[in-house]
Amino acid sequence: MNVEPEAATALPQQRPTVLRVAFPSRRRPARRALVGLVVLAVLAAAPALKSGYVLQLATDILSFVAMACSWNLISGFTGYVSFGQVTFFGLGAYTTALIVLHTPIPWYLAIPIAVALAGVAALLLGAVMLRLRGIMFALGMLGLARILTVVIANWSFAGGAVGLTLPAELTPIAVYAGTWAAALFAVGVSAFYLHSRFGLSAMAVRDDEAAAVALGVDTRRVKILTFVLSALAPAAVGGLVAWNRSFIDPASAFDPTMDLQLVVFTLFGGIGTLWGPLLGTIVLMLIGEQLWAYVPDLQLALYGGLVIVVVLAFPGGIVGLANRFGWLHRRPILAPHAFPSPIVPPLPPQPVPAGDVILEVRDLTVRFSGIVALDGLSFSVRRGESVAILGANGAGKTTMFNTVTGFVMPSEGAILYAGQPVDGLVSFQRARHGIARTFQIPRLMISMTVWENVLLAGANGRLSRHAVEQTAWALHITGLAPMWLDPVDRLSPGQQRRLELARALALGPTLLLLDEVMAGMTRDEQEEIRDVLRRLPEFGVAAVAGIEHVISAIADISDRMIVLDHGRKIAEGVPADVLRDPVVIQSYLGDIG
Amino acid sequence: MLVAQILINGILLGGMYILLAQGLNLVFGVMGVVNLAHGAIITVAGLFTFWFTTRTQQNPLLLLPVVFLAMLAIGAVLQRFLLEPLAGAGRKSELLSLMITFGLSYVLVEIGLNVFGSQYVSLPYLQTTWSVGGLTVNEALIAAGVLGATISGLLQIWLHHTGSGKSLIATSQNRIGAITCGIDVSRMRCIAFALGSSLAAAAGVLLIMVMPLAAQTADSLTILAFVVVAMGGLGDYAGAALAALLLGIAQSAVGYYVGGDAESVVPYLLFIVFMILRPQGLGRAAQPQ
Repeated sequence: MNVEPEAATALPQQRPTVLRVAFPSRRRPARRALVGLVVLAVLAAAPALKSGYVLQLATDILSFVAMACSWNLISGFTGYVSFGQVTFFGLGAYTTALIVLHTPIPWYLAIPIAVALAGVAALLLGAVMLRLRGIMFALGMLGLARILTVVIANWSFAGGAVGLTLPAELTPIAVYAGTWAAALFAVGVSAFYLHSRFGLSAMAVRDDEAAAVALGVDTRRVKILTFVLSALAPAAVGGLVAWNRSFIDPASAFDPTMDLQLVVFTLFGGIGTLWGPLLGTIVLMLIGEQLWAYVPDLQLALYGGLVIVVVLAFPGGIVGLANRFGWLHRRPILAPHAFPSPIVPPLPPQPVPAGDVILEVRDLTVRFSGIVALDGLSFSVRRGESVAILGANGAGKTTMFNTVTGFVMPSEGAILYAGQPVDGLVSFQRARHGIARTFQIPRLMISMTVWENVLLAGANGRLSRHAVEQTAWALHITGLAPMWLDPVDRLSPGQQRRLELARALALGPTLLLLDEVMAGMTRDEQEEIRDVLRRLPEFGVAAVAGIEHVISAIADISDRMIVLDHGRKIAEGVPADVLRDPVVIQSYLGDIG
Repeated sequence: MLVAQILINGILLGGMYILLAQGLNLVFGVMGVVNLAHGAIITVAGLFTFWFTTRTQQNPLLLLPVVFLAMLAIGAVLQRFLLEPLAGAGRKSELLSLMITFGLSYVLVEIGLNVFGSQYVSLPYLQTTWSVGGLTVNEALIAAGVLGATISGLLQIWLHHTGSGKSLIATSQNRIGAITCGIDVSRMRCIAFALGSSLAAAAGVLLIMVMPLAAQTADSLTILAFVVVAMGGLGDYAGAALAALLLGIAQSAVGYYVGGDAESVVPYLLFIVFMILRPQGLGRAAQPQ
C-alpha cells in the first residue's frame, strides 16, 4: 500500500484562523491623527466639567480602552484569542489591595508593583498556556480565571469569598490620571505593533505560525512578550478599580462578563487594528450608558447579540467599514515612499561556515505511528553544489526537508550543518543560521503586503536600514518589485511561488531548500526562476537542494540527483546517469513491458 | 468500601458527562466549531424542566422527548441563520463561528436569568436512595447516569449503523471526500448542530435531577463538556467516554476528600494539565515518535 507519508508529515496545517483584518494602505494618516486628537481632547476635558458623573464615566471608558487594546494585542495581533484576560485585572486588583493592607507602601507605588508582578505572572503563565492553540488557549484562559476565583474565594488572607474592604482614600482625579496612563500605554503599545518589525512578527504568528518559524521568527518569544504586554494595562486598571471602589471580591475581580465586554468592544471596533478597540469601546460605552437605564436586565443579551450581528454583518467592525471609504488603513511596515532604487546590493551574507560539506544527513529515520516516512537515509550536499531530489509522491522528500529544518524530529540518525549537529537548534534558529526553505504549497501571510512578507524574513537580526535594503533586493531579483505593495492574494500562483523564493532569499541563506518551487508554472515563469537559481552563488547561497517534479526544468541546472522511494535512497549521481537508471524509471513509471 | 462508593458515584456522574459531551463532540467533528453555547443550552433546558415540572407536577422524564425534539428544531434554525452563512469563509470560519456561539451563549444565559432567576435550583425527583451491601446510591443519579449512557449508545448506533449517520461521520472525517460521494454537507452541518443542541438539552433535563443549576453555571458546563471532548481527543467518541468516566471519578474523589469548591475546579485543572501533557487526547498515539 502506498500510504502518503508526505501528507502525514506535512507541517501541521494549523493555519490560525483570522478575523477580517484591515489591509495596509499608503494613505497619509492626517485624518486619523485628527480623529485621535478630538477623542483625546474630549476625554481629557472630562474632569474640567467637575462633574462626578462625567469623571466616573470617562474613567470607566478609559479603563476599558486600556483593557480592550491589551486584549487586542494577544487576540487580535497574534491571533491567540483569550477568554480569560480578566485574570490579570483580578491579579492586579488583589495584589494592589494586599500590598496596601499589609504594608506601609502607598497606593501609587503599590499599583506599579502589582503591574510588575502581573507581568512576571504572565511570563510564567504564557510559557505554559501559549503552548495551547486556538480554542484550547481560549478556553484554557477561561479556566485559569475560574481556578483563580476559587483559589481566592478559599484563601482567608485574601478575604475569601467575602472580599476585602480597603481604606477609603477616594481621589477620583488621581484614579482618572492613572487610568489615563494605562490607556495611553495600551494604545501606545498597539501603535508600536503596527509600525514595527516586532508587530509584524506578531501578525505573522496570527497568519501562519509555522511559516513564520521557517522565516526565522522566534514565535515563542513574540507570543510570550505579547502576552506579557497584554497583561500590564489590565493589572494597572485592576489596581485602580480596587482603589476607586475601596472594595474587591472574587466575583467582581474575575468577572467573566468583563471578557465578554472586551470581545464585544474590540470586535465592534475592528479586531487586529489600532483604532478598533479604542473606537469600539468609546462608542459602545457611550451608547450603553444611555441604554442600560431603560433595559437594565438585558445587558448581557444585547452584548451577546451584538457579537453575532457584528460577526455576520460587518466582521471588520467600525474600522472595516471605514476601510471601505479609504479611511483608517494601516500602513505597510517600514515601506519607503517609493520602491528603493537603485537596488543596493545586499550585505555580504553571514560568512559561510568552513568545511566542504554544507549538509550531511546520516542514517535518518522518521517514523509516524507505524508509517516509516524515512528509512535510514544518508546523503550530503557540498559547497557550490545544486542537488535535485526526486521521487514519487510519498517518497519522503518533504519529510526530509521538514526534518532538516527542525519541524519534524528524527526518530534515528543525525543531521549535520557545516559539520555541526543541528539537534540543539530549534526551527527558527536553523533558519537564522542560514537554512532557508520554501513550502510546497505557498504559505504566505495573507493580511500582509508582498513587501511585508519578505521583510519578515529580511528583518532577522538586521538593522532596519539593512532590512529594507535586503527586502528590496530580494523582491528585485525575483521580479516582484512592480507589485511590492499588493496584497498577496492578488498574486498569480506563479508569483506566489516567486514570493516564497524571495522570502527564503531575504533570509540570506547558506543552504537553500526548495520544495517544488517550479510546480504549476508556465514555461516562461520557470525560465525566470531558473535564472534566479543560476545566479544563487553570487547571492551568497553556498548550496541548494531542490525537490522537483518538473525534471526538464532542473536536469541541466543540477549537479547531482538523489532519488527517493518509500523513504530510501534508490539512486544518486549525475542527472544523465540517474535518469537512465532502470530502478529510477521503474519507481516513477512502474514496470514497463 | 469508601473507595467503592466514590467509584460508583464517579461512574454514574461520568455516564452523565458522556451525554454532556456527545453533542459538543458531534458539532465539533462535523462543523469544526466548538459550540460555546453548549452549556447555556444545557442550563436553559434544565431550568425549563424545573420550572415546568414544579408547576405541573409532571414526571420530568416525560419532558425529555419533548425538550429533545423542540431543541432539534431550534438548533436547526440557529444553524441555518447564524452559523451556515460563515461555513464558506474557509479558515476564518472557525474563529468567527466561535465568536457567534460565544455571543449566543450570553443571549441564552440572559434569557435564563430573566425567565428563571439566578438562584440555584434542583429538581426533587427520585430522591430515594438504594442501599446495596453498604453502598448507597441516589436513585436520580442512577436514572440520569443510565439514561445518559443509553442516549449516547443510541447515538453511536445511529452514527455507525445507518446511512445518514455514516454520512455524518464521513463529513467529519473528510469534508471534500464527503462532497465527492454526493453527501449534502450543508445539510449534514445542520443535522449535526441540531442534534448536538438537542443532546445538550436532553443532558440538561437529566442534569437538573442530579445537581443544582443556575443560569450562570452555563460557562462551567461548556468547559466541562469541552474538557471531556478534549481529553478524549477531538472527534474521538470512545476516548470521550473514557475521559468522561475518569473525570466523573476524579471529581467524586476530590469532592469527598477535599471539598465542593475544589471539585468544581477539577475540570479546569485537568484540562490545562492534559492539554499540555497530552494534546492529542487519551486514545491516540503521540505524533512523531
